[in-house]
Amino acid sequence: MDRLKSGEVNLGTSIMAVQFEGGVVIGADSRTTTGSYIANRVTDKLTHVHDRIYCCRSGSAADTQAVADIVHYYLQMFTQTSGAPPSVHTAAALFQKLCYENKDALSAGIIVAGWDKDAGPSVYNIPVGGGMFRQPWAIGGSGSTYVYGYCDATYKEGWGREETVEFVRNTLALAMSRDGSSGGVIRMCVITEDKVERLFVPGDQLPKFWEGREIVGGAVKKLDVDPIPMAVEV
Amino acid sequence: MSSSSIYSPPGFDFSNQLRNNFMLQKGLPLPKATSTGTTIVGCLFKDGIVLGADTRATEGPIVADKNCEKIHYITESIRCCGAGTAADTEFTTALISSNMEMHALQTGRKPRVVTAMTMLKQMLFRYQGQVGAALVLGGVDATGAHLFTIHPHGSTDKLPYVTMGSGSLAAMAVFESGWKPNMEREDALNLVKLAIAAGIFNDLGSGSNIDACIITANNTEMLRNVEMPNVRVQKERDYKFRRGTTAWKKEDVRKLIVEEQTLLIGGDEMDTS
Amino acid sequence: MTQRPQQHSFNPYTENGGTILAIAGADFSVIAGDTRQSEGYSIQTRYAPKVFRLTDKAVLAVNGFAADGNMFVKKVRQRLEWYRHAHSKDMPIRAIARLIQTMLYARRFFPYYVYNILGGIEEDGTGAVYSFDPVGSYEREACRAAGAAQSLMQPFLDNQIYFKNQTPAPGTSFPQHLPLNTVLSLVIDSFTGATERHIEVGDSLEMYVVLARESPSIQALQNIVGIQERTSTADGERIFVIRRDLKKD
Repeated sequence: MDRLKSGEVNLGTSIMAVQFEGGVVIGADSRTTTGSYIANRVTDKLTHVHDRIYCCRSGSAADTQAVADIVHYYLQMFTQTSGAPPSVHTAAALFQKLCYENKDALSAGIIVAGWDKDAGPSVYNIPVGGGMFRQPWAIGGSGSTYVYGYCDATYKEGWGREETVEFVRNTLALAMSRDGSSGGVIRMCVITEDKVERLFVPGDQLPKFWEGREIVGGAVKKLDVDPIPMAVEV
Repeated sequence: MSSSSIYSPPGFDFSNQLRNNFMLQKGLPLPKATSTGTTIVGCLFKDGIVLGADTRATEGPIVADKNCEKIHYITESIRCCGAGTAADTEFTTALISSNMEMHALQTGRKPRVVTAMTMLKQMLFRYQGQVGAALVLGGVDATGAHLFTIHPHGSTDKLPYVTMGSGSLAAMAVFESGWKPNMEREDALNLVKLAIAAGIFNDLGSGSNIDACIITANNTEMLRNVEMPNVRVQKERDYKFRRGTTAWKKEDVRKLIVEEQTLLIGGDEMDTS
Repeated sequence: MTQRPQQHSFNPYTENGGTILAIAGADFSVIAGDTRQSEGYSIQTRYAPKVFRLTDKAVLAVNGFAADGNMFVKKVRQRLEWYRHAHSKDMPIRAIARLIQTMLYARRFFPYYVYNILGGIEEDGTGAVYSFDPVGSYEREACRAAGAAQSLMQPFLDNQIYFKNQTPAPGTSFPQHLPLNTVLSLVIDSFTGATERHIEVGDSLEMYVVLARESPSIQALQNIVGIQERTSTADGERIFVIRRDLKKD
């Protein structure tokens, strides 16, 4: 089945959220595509829904914007009527309700993250279909499939802010390098009790990993060590 | 049997949908809507926004209108360029323009660009892409200058320079190489002209003239046909037909003045004194 | 959701736009085409000739799928060269027309995706135009338009060349053949008109004029700027080419 309608604007994305001791770090690439054309190369997929609650959007741009706008409105009404800020769980439950009840019409994979007084930092994953899962870290979008292994191997409990930011930055850079529909810059948010801090990594300053050896003038540069021949099973 | 209402409900009329779907299955295609296979752009500069558009409207490969207007009025300091189905862009912008005026009257304030953007995106989202309007919305309000693109499914982007329509790739190439932050009014207008020209000459869906609109905090300047690089050359012959060229089978000349004769038959005339 | 098998097939054809046109006069023939080549909404090139000189008395215009068109012209030229080597003369135009028919019909079930118009001078010295469909059906006519803007040009030509839907002034009649300068004007106006209203027509116009032996119509070509002669042998038919700019939007 085609999840996207023809000509629809797609957030063929890499998004991520990780909780740490004092808060959460969320991050996303910045590419929006229509087919092979990049409609926006500096998109902000980290969407504010309340003072200390943000969401990362993936899937159809129109659907996720509409859902986020509705949740934003509900949370404002909630704050006015109850007199206290909503919990991250409340926000996530709203997203889940909209995504589940309209699953036939929506293609939206959303990660909700933030900080509240009851639970402290928390991350909720709401994948396509409308499930809701609390996780210490979550990744999403087309680019995420490339980096599940990296996240499983790297993530440790009890990290501080700096280690968590670095984890998000490295994961997204790896996802963006492998996924054609992710790219551009990395946008990140650090949400703590005191404030929401925005971080930005320009496209030419992304962390680099092994990208192959340079071939100059058609000849492969000689290595210091001789390559070890592959062992062949007989 | 209940009698049908004499009032028509508001919104779109879907009463022919069943019949049209049946005809579609029988192999009769729906009539082709005029589309503005277009180049439209917007560009942020030091004091505001410059919007630009070409003036060609097409029906398939045929040019339906050589000099149509694609920069639509929303409010005095907010304008909107439309690409896609011509009727959809005209009606959505006209509807939102009307609602913005009502909103301004109700609040007693100058309405904001985000308000127009939100109205447009919510309407387009409600119709799930069936209303085929791709828009560039720009204007200046109390919070500053704002520029948006709105796609037919209802997604929006806020950027300092934007392009839409079939010529958007040609126009974006110009912006990506020539745009700088905090440009002067003249430089911005020239860049917009260049971007539209790129669409006109490299995209078959775009053509004819350049329209532009400069919006600043206290003035909006609509520059209709600022550039006309595609004037038709003089014809080699003139095609006047001799009176009597068209053949006819029958001539019938009728008098339009009705002659009436009144005949008094007995009785007295009414006393009018 | 039910999954159905889907057939994917390779489509070897594309449509490259553009329009061609030919008009025969009493002792001349004009064969014209625009030079824009496009695919979808993109221009591939602004100068791709669609009209080709075959011999001193025959010119072929091809329109449709450009790759097929170029290959077809190449193969026709090859056959004409073989004919010249075998018979020490150029093939007459009615024979070229029949040759083109057999070449097209040979590919009845994998056709050249091309509409052909052949123009030139007949052995009796009259102007001739032959028009073909992609699988070889052909007829001799006085004028024909083909390609993207055919539906815009042909009604205009019917009206101005065959005087369709026009009644002559009492006691007069319409001419059987138009003079060369009138024909050239009509060709230019046809193309500027089609450029205005068809998005695939434009960039520039290439008109070939073939004159019969010692034709007095040469007078009409005297004062045309930028005209070039393409004749290869003296004392025979003469070929000229005239170029005009068209709008580039």
